[in-house]
Amino acid sequence: MSIASPQAPVVAVETPFQRLRSQFLENRLATFGLILLALIIVPSVLAPWVAPQNPFDIGKLDIFESQLPPGSVSESLGITYWLGTDGQGRDVLSAILYGMRTSLVVAFVSVTGALLIGATVGLTAAYFGGKVDALLMRIVDLQLSFPAILLALIMLSVLGQGIDKVIIALIAVQWAYFARTARGTALVERNREYVQAARCLALSPLRIIFRHMLPNCMPPLIVIATIDLAHAIAAEATLSYLGIGVPVTQPSLGMLIANGFEFMLSGQYWISFCPGIALALIIVAINLVGDHLRDILNPRSAQ
Amino acid sequence: MRLFTGKLATSVAALMIGAMPLHAADLMIGIKSEPSSLDPQFHVLATNMQVAFTMFEPLVMMDAFASPQPALAESWENVSPTEWVFNLRKDVTFSDGSPFTAEDVLFSFDRVAKVPNSPSAYTLFTRQIESVEAIDDHTVKMTTFQPYPLLAADITSVVIMSHLAAAGDAPEGKTTTELNRGEGLIGTGPFKFVSWQKGADFVVERNPNYWGDAPEWDKVTMRPMTNAAARAAALLSGDIAVMEDPPTANLSDFENNPDLTIAKAPAGRVVYIALDQQDRESPGISGTDTNPLMDARVREALFISIDRHGIVDRVMGGLAEPAGDLVPAHFLGSSPDHATAPTVDVERAKALLAEAGYPGGFSIVLGSPNGRYVNDVRIAQTIASMWSRIGVTTEVEASAPPVFFQNRDEMKYSAYLGAWGNGSGENLTTLNALVNTYDREQGKGTANGGRYSNPEVDALLAEAASTMDDAARGAILSKADAVVLDDFGIIPVHYEVPVWALRNGLTMEGRADQYTLPQYIVSAE
Repeated sequence: MSIASPQAPVVAVETPFQRLRSQFLENRLATFGLILLALIIVPSVLAPWVAPQNPFDIGKLDIFESQLPPGSVSESLGITYWLGTDGQGRDVLSAILYGMRTSLVVAFVSVTGALLIGATVGLTAAYFGGKVDALLMRIVDLQLSFPAILLALIMLSVLGQGIDKVIIALIAVQWAYFARTARGTALVERNREYVQAARCLALSPLRIIFRHMLPNCMPPLIVIATIDLAHAIAAEATLSYLGIGVPVTQPSLGMLIANGFEFMLSGQYWISFCPGIALALIIVAINLVGDHLRDILNPRSAQ
Repeated sequence: MRLFTGKLATSVAALMIGAMPLHAADLMIGIKSEPSSLDPQFHVLATNMQVAFTMFEPLVMMDAFASPQPALAESWENVSPTEWVFNLRKDVTFSDGSPFTAEDVLFSFDRVAKVPNSPSAYTLFTRQIESVEAIDDHTVKMTTFQPYPLLAADITSVVIMSHLAAAGDAPEGKTTTELNRGEGLIGTGPFKFVSWQKGADFVVERNPNYWGDAPEWDKVTMRPMTNAAARAAALLSGDIAVMEDPPTANLSDFENNPDLTIAKAPAGRVVYIALDQQDRESPGISGTDTNPLMDARVREALFISIDRHGIVDRVMGGLAEPAGDLVPAHFLGSSPDHATAPTVDVERAKALLAEAGYPGGFSIVLGSPNGRYVNDVRIAQTIASMWSRIGVTTEVEASAPPVFFQNRDEMKYSAYLGAWGNGSGENLTTLNALVNTYDREQGKGTANGGRYSNPEVDALLAEAASTMDDAARGAILSKADAVVLDDFGIIPVHYEVPVWALRNGLTMEGRADQYTLPQYIVSAE
């Protein structure tokens, strides 16, 4: 004997993620951006295994192999410098892969940090309203009135050099954007029925904010985070270019560009040029992906 | 590709040059590092000296070849081994029109020791002087503690300030802060002060009361541009007419550029690495509890692991000479045994480290200014790479020059890259500043940031300082120099060959002391 359970007809129900994926892949440019991004990120993450040389191991650098043009073959290491070497004898390709790692780590960690702080501040302001809202949003306004690079410069000159300090400085200049967006979205969500229901159940504000409101405020925040990744990479490159970001023996993309600058006028273009192209590619790729994500996630711009 | 970029660069440069007319009587100089102060008696630093020499003059002035020439003193003589009489010019007035007399000389020499908080004091040049007296308005007698042959050379660095204009409530008259604001900056030099902002332009204009030949320029601006490539771009575009230290990578292009000329000076400045030799836990060293640099074998390992020819060829673009000594061989008091730079020997360096008890090496932080000396950070990185190769893992800490000097004075580095210019033509000043035991009151070891201290060296230097005969003094100095170098107390790397690039139509006599002085820059007729 068996109780025959009514078999539900099999209907292909798309999960939200599947829908997002199919919508995303419709746009060729965005798909191209995503592939480009993967092509950049994967070798960077795997740099210690795929890079011909470890450019951070200064004991391995040979000053007699400095400033070699692309395609030169190393006499001591037996490898080919596909993108040439810089003024210290670093393989430019390896330096780009390692430098990109630094840039990506700084960008991801700082954007995540800024997202967490910004979302908390924005949701808190929206949920409580009144004086709390006014106070927090004035702090945000104050923060946004400073030019971001200037603020980061001041912070780094106080904190000193180092990757951790760059991350702290970038969080400090980015969180306000997330706070403002989170508040705007949360103001709408606050008056929805599910929040009112949660209030009637006397749930704690903490729970309402993070368990109920936050998930519904995420889409715009994700869009901002994507675009902000590109900003963070550019900002880190700017700071390192100015010589106050990462240590000189562990160059990121910005510092590689700065190091090559002095060779530019004498025709050794590759030292600055190649890291510059890499920087441009990654920013373009992230922006392509971010722009299209925004189009999909914004209901008003849906076709 | 190379041909293409070459052509592109040339055509871009040609376009930029055609568009930029140059005002005839204004001169814009791109300097590589700004002065730390306008007080001409605050900090012995080439950038400070060169701005001081636009506004002020000493009694005796070094010419381009580091030979003392009459300036505010028209003549001088030794009336006894310890007494010097200087006859002052009678036709000199300060830029504010007041006359120059012996009283200004007395004031200026008296002020030197009273300037507080000096990071590198001018007492270096006056500590041998027991008294300065005025015989009459235009005659000054200086008495030294003992026979001191270098007095005339030393006082080329002590400029004469107006005792009226620089008077003030503080013991030293106008304080360093007041002088930095431009108060009391009255001298007898060819130019007079207009304006200065820290980090920005230093501007002077022609001094109408100047006693000598009037300088060619109505107004001279010295703009600090620490990035060599930015200076080069500014020169190519005509924004500046003269630049200090063109990037070594560009030099051959500049020499072939019809719109630019190159000026060189004789080599004199040594770039060195100072090592912390205090019996303490050295701040930048990890992997060991004691200071390994106290051991001469460790210092020797660091000494011989540096490939000086590599640095000269690849980093300096050939514009330097490898150094095994603290002064070039033609200087009085150089050590003949160290005239050639040592050859690199990695295996021996590793063996020495193992012998000293550091077979696995240790970690060290190498401090370096960023933009003070030619290619300073790149040299530091290259040395870091060479040291890492023998097991001494080296991290480079590069800072803006003012931060670097502050850290150095607070002894925060276990090793640092420095340089010492010697304008006297003999080794005494270099050894006194770099390796004599540090003694601020006596003005000895003023730039001895590693605190090297060897009684034998101190005794020899004291003896040399009072030996009037040149040959005898040279022999003593050679001996002291050899003791320091055999002890690996300091690590010479190379001698800089000073270079300037100028817009075509200008000429400049390159000075051995590397000062960029606008009065030495003239239009070629």
